[in-house]
Amino acid sequence: MARLIDPSLEKLSRIMSEMGDMAIECISLAVDSYLEGKNTSDQVYELSDSIRNKYFEVEDLIFDMLLKYQPVADDFRMIRSSTEISYAFSRFGRYAYDITQVRDLFGDISDCVNTSLFEISKKVKDMIKEAVLSFAELDVRRAVKIQEDEAFIDKIYNERLAKLIESDNTKCALAEALLLRYLERIGDHAVFMSDAINYIVTGKHKPSEKRIKSHTKLSSQENDIG
Amino acid sequence: MNVNKRQEYRTLFKQNVERRLFVDKIVRLIVISCVMIAIIPLGSILVEVFKNGLAAISIEFLTEVPGSIGSGEGGIGPAIQGTLIVIGMASMIGVPIGVLSGIFLSEFGDNRLAKSVRFFNDVFMEFPSILLGIFAFLVIVLVLGHFSVWAGAFALALIMFPIVARTTEESLKMVPVTYREAGMALGLRHWVVTVRIVLAAAKNGMVTGVLLSVARIGGETAPLIMTILGSSLFFSNFDTPMDALPLRIWRLSLLPYDSAQMQGWGAALVLILIILAINIGVRTLVLNKDDTYRFGKMIKEKIGGIK
Amino acid sequence: MATKPDTIETQISSTKDIPTVEDKFKMIAENVTISYGDKPAVKDVTIKFKEKSVTALIGPSGCGKTTFLRCLNRMHDMTKNAKVEGKVMIDGIDLYSKEIDPIYHRRKVGMVFQKPNPFPTMSIFDNVTAGLRLNGVRDKKILNEIVEDTLKMAYLWDEVKDDLKKPAVELSGGQQQRLCIARALAIQPEVLLMDEPASALDPIATQKIEETITELKKEFTIIIVTHNMQQAVRVSDYTGFMYLGDLIEFRETKKLFTDPKNELTAKYVQGQFG
Repeated sequence: MARLIDPSLEKLSRIMSEMGDMAIECISLAVDSYLEGKNTSDQVYELSDSIRNKYFEVEDLIFDMLLKYQPVADDFRMIRSSTEISYAFSRFGRYAYDITQVRDLFGDISDCVNTSLFEISKKVKDMIKEAVLSFAELDVRRAVKIQEDEAFIDKIYNERLAKLIESDNTKCALAEALLLRYLERIGDHAVFMSDAINYIVTGKHKPSEKRIKSHTKLSSQENDIG
Repeated sequence: MNVNKRQEYRTLFKQNVERRLFVDKIVRLIVISCVMIAIIPLGSILVEVFKNGLAAISIEFLTEVPGSIGSGEGGIGPAIQGTLIVIGMASMIGVPIGVLSGIFLSEFGDNRLAKSVRFFNDVFMEFPSILLGIFAFLVIVLVLGHFSVWAGAFALALIMFPIVARTTEESLKMVPVTYREAGMALGLRHWVVTVRIVLAAAKNGMVTGVLLSVARIGGETAPLIMTILGSSLFFSNFDTPMDALPLRIWRLSLLPYDSAQMQGWGAALVLILIILAINIGVRTLVLNKDDTYRFGKMIKEKIGGIK
Repeated sequence: MATKPDTIETQISSTKDIPTVEDKFKMIAENVTISYGDKPAVKDVTIKFKEKSVTALIGPSGCGKTTFLRCLNRMHDMTKNAKVEGKVMIDGIDLYSKEIDPIYHRRKVGMVFQKPNPFPTMSIFDNVTAGLRLNGVRDKKILNEIVEDTLKMAYLWDEVKDDLKKPAVELSGGQQQRLCIARALAIQPEVLLMDEPASALDPIATQKIEETITELKKEFTIIIVTHNMQQAVRVSDYTGFMYLGDLIEFRETKKLFTDPKNELTAKYVQGQFG
């Protein structure tokens, strides 16, 4: 027998999956903008805006469910994590937009692309796909891959930032610095998302918090350049 | 089910309602007339008794011994005294026994012993009172060798206690189990719960039962014939025959004299008034606290206009 | 929705997290089995109740939670056919042992019932003091003190202090229930049992009862049976879920309601039962 809360949960699930698909598309387009020099900023802007609206919709829906149904157990964890996850999606959209702005600002920078940047971009695209799938299937095993990817991204990020100071191509250096920053943040949010999914399935809270380098005091020392 | 069907059904109900209101009115008429029919004989008895008996009432009537037969003098003093004494004594025996039996049956009454007690109690209630009178005669009068007030009280107690037992049991049973549970949960002993809480709550029902039985024995004649016999003298001691109102009424009604007849009506009137007085008196004294409280509050409001 | 594949994070932990050894337990029910005739209503239930806490018992109708609650103060002594096995210990003393007088036990463990049941022939004052007066306590000074103390604890003092001689039955339902709480507290129990205390009351009265419970747990150990899960979440520290006589899960309330370990518990609290 359908419970009162079930239609709302289904709606939540539907909107979230739409957001997920849009996020994947968004990031792909954004990455292509600098890898291939395509002008995708209008499309990305539209997608990011849609995602943002859906984020508000999700927030409203969540608080409505809390008000009406006082959910517990699985329902409760799903709803609680949905705030984190939908926020992550909205961030993906935002950073995707920021990335296209880099291209708009600096012009076609496809010649600045080096192997590291290429690899990191590919990783990020994969990560997003993994995260969205992980949520759709509530599969926590994918979290392992996501965390590995994020560690990789962090490593490259730190290596490249150090090297950029010695670069003599100011335009490429600056562009790359910005891009790396955005990509690294996307990676972080993907990990937070996987934590939230973990919470839904196992009830464990924020296991990755301590391990995220950008969030610990130690790492801020490491990030000091120079 | 579509809308049209519903409309159809709705019209159905409308028709029924009209017919039902009509039937309702008819039934109400029938019920009221039945009540009237029931009240009329009762009312007419009271009216007759008052009409015929009032004339006989006087201080002399109420306090003097019976005069010589047919003279129209004297009174029913001993009869009044006798009725009060014998009812009082019967109650002193019958009420405690009846109440205790009632408590036993209600609080501990789930075993076979209780079931048989209850059965015999009910059978006993139906016994013709003359049989109980004969029993008292055999057991007390013959054994002691003379008629006495003891015998009369005994006979009437026998009539009384099954009624008291039954009504006590029913009143106690009507007290919801939850009060017993609350009492037990407070750590009170079982008999404390029964007496101080359950009995107190059942008081009204029990008092009604007792008063009913008093009214019943007040009018019993047959058992008294064989036990206290009747007399023309005031009370002297418990071992001698005694007069009582039912006996006196019976004797007076058998006499062919008009004066005797009138005295008989007077005695009947007195008997009714005594029963009435006992009823009102006991109720006023024993009414449960909240009724007394409300009654008192009402008086205060009326007098002082205080809330 | 609850798919729980074998994940790296899932641990195989007991579904009955019993509080740690350092916690002091006021009451321990051990291997309690209650049967009516030969039908078991409660099957081998063991629960340890931490002192000065509120423990809620939840479960569908007929799961045995009320039956279990009532055995904690030996109310089943009054029920024919009821057989109780196991131990119920307060401060280490088994209250079902032959040496213990059940009356003594019931003075340590008070009870408040589902439907308010103030004694109908008594005033407010007499109701509160019933457990004392009918046990021989006559000192007026002590009675007055206790009446004020318990009525304050039950959040009823301000509403009735001007007219304590008023018949108890003239109070509203919520006030009557608080009166019953005061009456139960007057005998100075250490554990308070409450059988769905707010189920017969309107929302505002319910709220007051919950506030009372939250205040009372600073001094007493409270065990409450409730069918209102939100109430259990609001008010209790530990929750036990019972089903068909078995104790399915017993944990800290927040954990039981956000992450129940047992499938049955998850189904019940989410309203997925039949």
